[in-house]
Amino acid sequence: MNTIRSFVSPRTEADRERRRIAVMCLPYFVLATFGAFLPLGMLARMSVSESQFSNEGFSLSAWELLLTEPVYREIAWNTLWFATATTLFSVAVAVAISHALAKYQLPFRRWIVAMVSFPIALPGIVVGFMIVVLFGRTGLLTNAVAFFTGENPIDLAVALTVGGLFLGYSFSLIPRATMVLRGTFAEINEDAEEAAKSLGASPLLTFRYVTLPQVWPGIVAAFVLTFRTALAIFGTVLVLPALNVATLRINLEIQSLGFNLATASAIGLIYFVFIFVFTFGGVKLIDNESLKI
Amino acid sequence: MSEVTLDSLTKRYDEEVAVDGIDLTVRDGEVLGVIGPSGCGKTTTLRTIAGFETPTEGRVLFDDDDVTHVPPEDRNVGLVFQSYALFNNMSVLDNVAFGLKMQGVDKEERRDRANELLELVGIGEHAEKDPRQLSGGQQQRVGLARALAIEPRILLLDEPMTGLDAKLKKRLEEEIGSLLDELNVTTLYVTHDQEEAMVMCDRIAVLNDGRIEQIGTPAEIYERPANAFVADFVGTSNAVSATIEDGRMDLGFATYDIDDIPETAEGTAIVRPGDFRVGEGDIEGVVRDRYYLGDRVRARIELPNGDLVTVALDPSTENARTGDTVSLVLDPSGVHVLRSE
Repeated sequence: MNTIRSFVSPRTEADRERRRIAVMCLPYFVLATFGAFLPLGMLARMSVSESQFSNEGFSLSAWELLLTEPVYREIAWNTLWFATATTLFSVAVAVAISHALAKYQLPFRRWIVAMVSFPIALPGIVVGFMIVVLFGRTGLLTNAVAFFTGENPIDLAVALTVGGLFLGYSFSLIPRATMVLRGTFAEINEDAEEAAKSLGASPLLTFRYVTLPQVWPGIVAAFVLTFRTALAIFGTVLVLPALNVATLRINLEIQSLGFNLATASAIGLIYFVFIFVFTFGGVKLIDNESLKI
Repeated sequence: MSEVTLDSLTKRYDEEVAVDGIDLTVRDGEVLGVIGPSGCGKTTTLRTIAGFETPTEGRVLFDDDDVTHVPPEDRNVGLVFQSYALFNNMSVLDNVAFGLKMQGVDKEERRDRANELLELVGIGEHAEKDPRQLSGGQQQRVGLARALAIEPRILLLDEPMTGLDAKLKKRLEEEIGSLLDELNVTTLYVTHDQEEAMVMCDRIAVLNDGRIEQIGTPAEIYERPANAFVADFVGTSNAVSATIEDGRMDLGFATYDIDDIPETAEGTAIVRPGDFRVGEGDIEGVVRDRYYLGDRVRARIELPNGDLVTVALDPSTENARTGDTVSLVLDPSGVHVLRSE
């Protein structure tokens, strides 16, 4: 009762602050309720439904299928290793780009920033198409290399291989990691870097002992964000289906393999729980002040 | 330690000249202060010696070694920053030992030497702490110990006291001053605070617009400024038009015998506030304003010809109030005459 009264007519600054916070958070909770909590509840219900087309009865057959069928273990493994590999590569490239942008007076700096960031705006499906246009059998780069080496373009085309998919993922992930890291690199204590150099540290050792510890939380944040994005990429893998990953499989379960809503829901739930736990762990790691390398 | 020489050093950024043909020698074991207004080229000079700026023209010599194009990590220069620039991911001890680690000194020895230096700067008990747990003054001591640990050829201090409170600053001035004397380290001390430079430095170079206006001991700079800029920048001064004829100096409001400029000349007399005192003198003036500064009172007095002069009064004996007419005595021995070009 008191809580309601202090909300309606707050008397202290603390009450007013609580009310402001509640008002500011309200749109998020409304959105989260209808956009996340309810659909997740529906997914959970659907994953144990006996009926294929409606939420009726109770059956754990979809979960049993996920645990026993080797193809789902393979999908989980593919999803994890591929997201990890593309994330590590993308974050490494982003570290170099962000470092260069923060550290040096580069010519055409604005152009470089625009070029690096614009792939964020491209749908995954377009990225996949670009890879085909560049690295497919009739691709521009494939035929250019074939022209200079005398090889057959069909042998050189990588668009529909795991390598092509890797390029497609990286094309989307590098800008995301760079955007996160640019902020981190902009706040580097350059005096500390110069102090290290004056004490005899080479540029590489300065980076190792002084720069890297400063940007480490940013790198972890970039890894968390980029890894989550990598797990969620769908359009690119739809165009370049070189590897069976979770998002592609959900699509297959719903469309090509019949209307397997229970199995698709179970995969979706595992996917959500994994990302939630991973994000929570990542945020905890970033918040940990004793984080040192 | 080394003697450090800047030979016709020039640094330009596009069209802007930051340092304009400086010739400067920091003698072995000397503490040389560099003072000047903001943007005069102090920090650029320091950064060029450290190797973080490459001069557009001229050379940097450590003894006879030309280090103009040697990278910073190979110069063996100790740098102390205004911002402290400590490594917050390391303990205080590891900060001080960092340079020794880069030199390949083994762990045991570098710990011993770092501990020694921390004791020397008076913060031995904080060795294992995170630098962020220390006060500003303590952090600056860590910065100093870290720079000294590598036994640098020259120690460069870039406004090390800026940002510290007045009392701490005074204490650090004394401590660091005596430490530098004791260790006999060749030091370049950049500051905008002339009083700090006078306390800390054996000689002072006054910079303006990238050029050196004067180099000399603190007393020379203060008492015998080379030009109007130095006179105006260092301390408070009254610039009074003067005519010298046959050993007599006519200031317009009074005439004095002086010894050191015998010939006829037109010029500007630099009269420091302390050269005046209230007494039975032949200069009459009206006190226009006065500021109590604790150990002295600074007053501005209007002379009969309309000129305003700043005068330092002893608050215990000279209690002139605003609006009072006072009689001033000028000690001509402290007056320095700048002859017109």
